[in-house]
Amino acid sequence: MADLLLETAPRSFALAGRYPGAVVAVQVGRKAGRSGLLWGLIFAFYVVAQTLAYTSAYPTQAARDQMASAYSTNIGLNALIGPARAINTVAGYASWRILGILSILGAIWGLLTATRLMRGDEEAGRYELLLAGQTTRRRAAGQAIAGLAAGLVTLFVLTTIGTVLTGHASTVGFTLGQSVYFAITLAAGAATFLAIGALTSQLANTRRRAAAMAGAVFGISYALRMVADSDPGLHWLVWLSPLGWIEESRPLTGPRPLALLPVVLLILVVTAVTVHLAGSRDLGAAVLPNRDTAVSHLALVGSPIGLAVRLMRPVVLGWLIAVAAFSVLLGTVAESSAQDISGDKSVQETLGRLGGHGSPVAAYLGLTFLIIALMITLVAAGQITATRAEEADGHLENFAVRPVSRTSWFTGRMILSAFVLLAAGVLAGIGAWAGAASQHSGAGFGSLVAAGLNVVPPSLFLLGLGAVVLGVWPRRTSVVVYGYLAWSFLIEFIGAVVHASHWLLDTSVFFHMVPAPATSPNWGSAAVIAGLGVAGAVIGGIFLNRRDVLAG
Amino acid sequence: MGAPAIRTEGLSKRYGSVDALSGLDLEVTEGEVVGYLGPNGAGKTTTIRLLLGLARPTAGRAEIFGLDCQRQTVQAHRRLAYVPGEANLWPSLTGAETLHLLGRVHGQVDSRYRDELIQRFALDPSKKVRAYSKGNRQKVLLIAALMTRPALLVLDEPTSGLDPLMEQAFRHCVQEAHETGQTVFLSSHILSEVEALCDRVGILREGRLVEIGTLAAMRHLSALTVELVFDAAPPDLSVVSGVKRVVVDGRHVHLEVHGPIEPLIDALGGTGVRELVSREPSLEELFLAHYGPDGNAPVTADGAVLAGQPGA
Repeated sequence: MADLLLETAPRSFALAGRYPGAVVAVQVGRKAGRSGLLWGLIFAFYVVAQTLAYTSAYPTQAARDQMASAYSTNIGLNALIGPARAINTVAGYASWRILGILSILGAIWGLLTATRLMRGDEEAGRYELLLAGQTTRRRAAGQAIAGLAAGLVTLFVLTTIGTVLTGHASTVGFTLGQSVYFAITLAAGAATFLAIGALTSQLANTRRRAAAMAGAVFGISYALRMVADSDPGLHWLVWLSPLGWIEESRPLTGPRPLALLPVVLLILVVTAVTVHLAGSRDLGAAVLPNRDTAVSHLALVGSPIGLAVRLMRPVVLGWLIAVAAFSVLLGTVAESSAQDISGDKSVQETLGRLGGHGSPVAAYLGLTFLIIALMITLVAAGQITATRAEEADGHLENFAVRPVSRTSWFTGRMILSAFVLLAAGVLAGIGAWAGAASQHSGAGFGSLVAAGLNVVPPSLFLLGLGAVVLGVWPRRTSVVVYGYLAWSFLIEFIGAVVHASHWLLDTSVFFHMVPAPATSPNWGSAAVIAGLGVAGAVIGGIFLNRRDVLAG
Repeated sequence: MGAPAIRTEGLSKRYGSVDALSGLDLEVTEGEVVGYLGPNGAGKTTTIRLLLGLARPTAGRAEIFGLDCQRQTVQAHRRLAYVPGEANLWPSLTGAETLHLLGRVHGQVDSRYRDELIQRFALDPSKKVRAYSKGNRQKVLLIAALMTRPALLVLDEPTSGLDPLMEQAFRHCVQEAHETGQTVFLSSHILSEVEALCDRVGILREGRLVEIGTLAAMRHLSALTVELVFDAAPPDLSVVSGVKRVVVDGRHVHLEVHGPIEPLIDALGGTGVRELVSREPSLEELFLAHYGPDGNAPVTADGAVLAGQPGA
């Protein structure tokens, strides 16, 4: 009988059955491994795409020198992704651009994954059952960290494959040692914030609070690194930030492995403290005090839509502030970037090849608004997966057994989500204008708000796609939505490198977005994309109404 | 006389190759308290989800007060309240906020009764749902349902997690609801609860309704259990008309009588019977007669497997 169960159960259960003392590690490792697989693929593709894009866009040393002279003095870009050192070489460019972006992405992945799998699972009551088995709270925490490490190793291995393969290309030429060291530095941000997320999971009693605390550590760390890289007089601040330590490891250009020592020490200390705290607190409780009672605020809890506003408020406000702040930053650095590249034909040609036209400021913003588009589509993905989570957690049933139709509940959620996306687009435009205006760049308010609105239709399309999946195949909503988003982003990068088939490029939702404000928004095309999103929401709503409500 | 509170015709639900519910024909008249029994997986929750429109039937139809459960869901829900066995509430809301939300969504709340229920169930509404025990979360759902004073209460294992005192408070509330003419459809594993509260009882087995009726009728139709003690070796009573399942243990005899008891009384004349105890079956025995420990083989109350019964 036991054998039969093991045969038919998922592999993780079979593994847990074979190693009953490691059941937590197996469970966490399975989930972290799956996530590490997806993000490892994204890391690897990003490494390949960015490096080959460089060798393709700047084939000659002269072109690379010109590009380097334009970018290396750009304070805005230095602040955003770190100082550009020796970017007239493939190694220097890869070290700057790829490390700058992936250490940030990895850190965010790490803190979200750790808090989801440690505090999130504990909050959902999953640890209660596991801790009744052959383990203690302290050992369970150690196992959970081992599971997270399995996810990290998956991400690292795939990233290493990416760096080694890229390094072997004749136009690149990294040694094996260089490639592996590069991969280590790329995964260092993820490792650091996995550990910090595990620690905050002991401090806070909800996943959201644990993620917010880890996010605050990330924000401070990023801000310190930004200031350090903006002002040579304050460069010492780089040593106060984990992201600064990773930056100072300088892979490919002048390796300083000792700079990673504080990263290793931090991870070890934080992990030890995490395991200690896990053993000294009650299951379900947190180290920091939390209030069990609260004054009731009834203003928003009178309807499903009001409740959605109240529950989403912290996350949505966080995203809107992030979009606005990033847009202000882009607007602020746009003028200096434009000055750097004004008169530089090769850089302008490159921008033009990637879709930017018009004035240098407009071309720069047209390109960088792709990042805003990605951020807003991430908001859309979050909205539709949160809608599905309401159903999966059994919360929808509380309304569906009362005089509330599923159609009205779903319509309310979709309208609210569309409003959030629209607000994010408008804020992006206003933020970019405010930043640009502070530098007297001359970018018009109307054109930048239009550019902000121009990035909304792809997110509406993704919302509609998610709605269809939620209606037809609800348990796969998250996988399909984030999978398609990752695919679109990859296609966007690959498309910039190779002359991919038009059919392939068409599958990316970003491909149908013009780079406003570099060119005027194509409202006809935008309306079609947004219309497809609306149609998807309607179809999803119809299917939702015609199927069983599915919890879990 | 209005439409029945609940009416189903050939209601069926299939999940893949499993028939969760097969051809359910059920009618619950207004003002009745009906118990719905069955082991795990018998189809009780599936029935309730179909009645609530949360699941779509593979075949058949269901009505609540004459309103189609699939097409007129919202209108039907205005007249009912539902308590699930598992409370999936919003952890960050307080009890008061949750009751306010669920009351507003339902549309009608007897505020005075709500406050009384909060007292009766000893609920602290200022606490966050996250801080409630399972029993306290269940209390929130019970209060949310009862405070709307619905025409129909649909209860699916409503007392899971409640302590005995709160269980008593719940029974009191259901009796009150019955007295005010509300209909109650109660799915439960607690047979004493069903026995104490219900006018009629339905028993489900593997997705099929195998028995429904008043407890009195079910007892009347069922076998009478008779315990006998003799002065000497007992006679062979298995040949007596209506007597079945005779178990002899020395001078003690345990048997069942189906139909009139007169043939047995006549047969006992001059046999030296010293003690005779007869009793009607309890709901537990009636229930267990349809199920065995594995959910298939019917058994007697003492656990012995009966021969010649369906599924045995």
